[in-house]
Amino acid sequence: MPIEPIVATQALPALGLLDAAAVARLQELDPSGSAGLLPRVLATYTQSLQRLLEQLRTARREADVHVQHRVVHTLKSSSASVGALKLSALCADIEHKLRDGLTVGLGAQLDALTVEGERILAALHQS
Amino acid sequence: MNTPSWFIDDNDGIKRPRLLLVDDDEVNLMLTAIALRDRGFEVAEVTSGEDALAALRAGAPDIVVLDALMPGMDGFQTCQALRAMPGYAQMPVLMLTGLDDDASITRAYRAGATDFYVKSTQWSLLSGRLRYMLRASRTRIELERSKFKLARAQDLARMGSFDWRRGARLGHLWLSAEALRVFGRTADERIELRALLRMVGSPQRRGLMRMLNEVVAHNAVLATDVSVTLFDGRQRVVHVEAEAEFEHGHGVGYTGVFQDVTDRRVAEDRIRHLANFDALTGLPNRRHLIWRTERALEHARRLGHNAALLLIDLDRFKNVNDTLGHAAGDELLMEVARRLRGCVRHSDQVMEGALEAAGTRSHRTLEAVGRLGGDEFVALLPEVADNADAERVANRILEAMREPIFVAGQECFTTASVGIAMFPRDGLNLADLMRNSDVAMYSAKTAGRNSSAVYSPQLGGRGREKIELEGHLHKAIERNELVLHYQPKIDVRAAKMVGAEALMRWQRAGLLVPPGDFIPLAEETGLIVPLSEWAVREAARQAKSWQLNFGFTDSIAVNLPSRLFERSDLVENIHQSVSAYGVPHKTILLEITENNLMKDLHNVSLSLHRLNEIGVEISIDDFGTGYSSLAYLTTLPISELKIDRSFVRDLGITPQSSAVVSAIIALARSLGLRVIAEGVETLRQMDVLHQLGCGVMQGFLFAKALPPDDLETWLKQTVLPRKAPWIGAARDDEPVPRVRGRA
Repeated sequence: MPIEPIVATQALPALGLLDAAAVARLQELDPSGSAGLLPRVLATYTQSLQRLLEQLRTARREADVHVQHRVVHTLKSSSASVGALKLSALCADIEHKLRDGLTVGLGAQLDALTVEGERILAALHQS
Repeated sequence: MNTPSWFIDDNDGIKRPRLLLVDDDEVNLMLTAIALRDRGFEVAEVTSGEDALAALRAGAPDIVVLDALMPGMDGFQTCQALRAMPGYAQMPVLMLTGLDDDASITRAYRAGATDFYVKSTQWSLLSGRLRYMLRASRTRIELERSKFKLARAQDLARMGSFDWRRGARLGHLWLSAEALRVFGRTADERIELRALLRMVGSPQRRGLMRMLNEVVAHNAVLATDVSVTLFDGRQRVVHVEAEAEFEHGHGVGYTGVFQDVTDRRVAEDRIRHLANFDALTGLPNRRHLIWRTERALEHARRLGHNAALLLIDLDRFKNVNDTLGHAAGDELLMEVARRLRGCVRHSDQVMEGALEAAGTRSHRTLEAVGRLGGDEFVALLPEVADNADAERVANRILEAMREPIFVAGQECFTTASVGIAMFPRDGLNLADLMRNSDVAMYSAKTAGRNSSAVYSPQLGGRGREKIELEGHLHKAIERNELVLHYQPKIDVRAAKMVGAEALMRWQRAGLLVPPGDFIPLAEETGLIVPLSEWAVREAARQAKSWQLNFGFTDSIAVNLPSRLFERSDLVENIHQSVSAYGVPHKTILLEITENNLMKDLHNVSLSLHRLNEIGVEISIDDFGTGYSSLAYLTTLPISELKIDRSFVRDLGITPQSSAVVSAIIALARSLGLRVIAEGVETLRQMDVLHQLGCGVMQGFLFAKALPPDDLETWLKQTVLPRKAPWIGAARDDEPVPRVRGRA
């Protein structure tokens, strides 16, 4: 496995929040880093995260469970892809609850999701 | 970059498969796209179901990957919409679902997805799955194609498959579209087994049902041809072939094919018919008759009854062929065949193998009349009580010939001669019965034709050789085995040929049969009539040939038996013969022996007058040997007397002979007839004859009877160079008045 690109990407401050194994998998897709894959993925994720958090806020206000469900589903897989594992795990829990129609502790979990999301977003914005 | 090994893996048949990737999660979309491009796919990315359908409308990829959950149209709806688009029914579609999302998996299949894949970052697994789907899709397309090809091939072969499952009553039957077409039905119609069975005629249906029950009971292979009448009334022959299907060791049904084999069967029947029946008359041919006769004899032997073989030969059929042409002859044979068919039963069936199926009296269906060849027919009567039974059929046949047959625009009267041989009395096998019916048939011919004769050992007792000879003589004219040799008639004073006598020879199998061996036989059997008619024609032809070769203008003498003079058509016959070759009537000189003439003087004289009127001259052969009334010489139109060889032989030896000869010469001179001596072998005989006043003679002294070509050679090498010992021997210094004809 090439060493040099990993060293290079560690320059990104947000990487500290992301799972190393997941990042390594991403790097496998662009071993030399010449395609600028990692920055592009993270940029896409940042936009996506921003939009989804916004959608979630609106959906909670409007009590639109369907949109909430879709948001956590999408956020779950994209977060897992980039290595935001805590966020992804939160999304998975909420998705299960929503699918099974459980509401106990759902509000607190959605709050926690928003907090974690904002935290990652902030870190990504710094980079 | 080195080419990865999977890139050239041609298993999916596509070097760089085009993939449409649909995911609203842009991160995933991006990562998946990059991973798959890296693995040899050409990826187009869209982020919604709506965009996906738009992309598909623009052009088809090789495979589609759909995220299940998306805002707007989700993956399931997109997949359903995709399947509804023309050309996308078989498109491989992979649905991406979340882990442990069982509901989505079920929904994915229901929406028409080919397969599902749990989202993960295991890109190689995804790529492998996609390649597998492409291969499966390709295999499926090939399968569809080969299924289509099979259907087409089956259609061309008028063949289609069916399945049958056991069940209540007649069970359940499924026919493929092609099989339905075999029975004249379209693909969207159905036929129940009951309806199929109803297409089979009721007598055969019972047998078929029995056979089917038997086969099914043993799970045996089914292979049979069935004649059916389709709904539209067409008659077809359908071949059915099927094998039992088993589940857990029990026969549960059959699977097999129907094939319309009507054309093949028609062709087979035609071939069988051609092999067994005479093309001209449609009657059983020799081969088929032999087959029938052998079967009939087997039965007769087993059941101990008589059988009869009737050999039927048309009388004077050759005349029809010769005078009216072969087309007319064929026409006549066809009509004769039609009449003969009316005299016996069952001539039309081909029955190999069918016989055993019918009961003990089945041998009677062997009864038939067939054509052996030419104008020979055979009637086979498989069971008769006695001679009278067979003779009744023979008489029916003779009776059937009585009505004139209209051919080539004229009425022909045809008679037949029938020879009867009985099994077992006249022969125990086919060969003996055929031979003896032949013997009987010739005896019927000898007895005057238009009659039948039952074989008897007395007929056979005439000696095998003679019978054979007779049989062969019968065909001698057709086979061109007869020839005429010519003995020159010599005017000794002028030392030149003044005519010739035609003498018949038979070239049989490379040997010359002497006239003494077959002329009496021909007389006895009546064959002398066609033989003589042929001789007249041939002599006319030869005269023409000589006329062209060396200016021959004399006459050729042909010997005719008295029975020929009795025939009303003799004059016409001779007229036709000479006209055919464009020679004058006087070219033919007819010789009749004194004995023959005296036998039936009254009938013959009429003929002689008519012949004389058209210019044909008559010579009395063997003159002086018959018990004759010299009175006839004054009333008959005779031109020439031929001194019998017995008088000539004794000339110069006994004085009596020269007395007779000079008396004959004197008689001829006073009646104004020509005189000629035959059997002249020595110069002495020649001298004496010449001195007595007979200047024209024939005999070995001059030449024996020669083939036409040899006679020409003899003329060129002996007569014209005046080289023969007899030339110049007749002294000119003794003026003896020559006998001249009446000019």
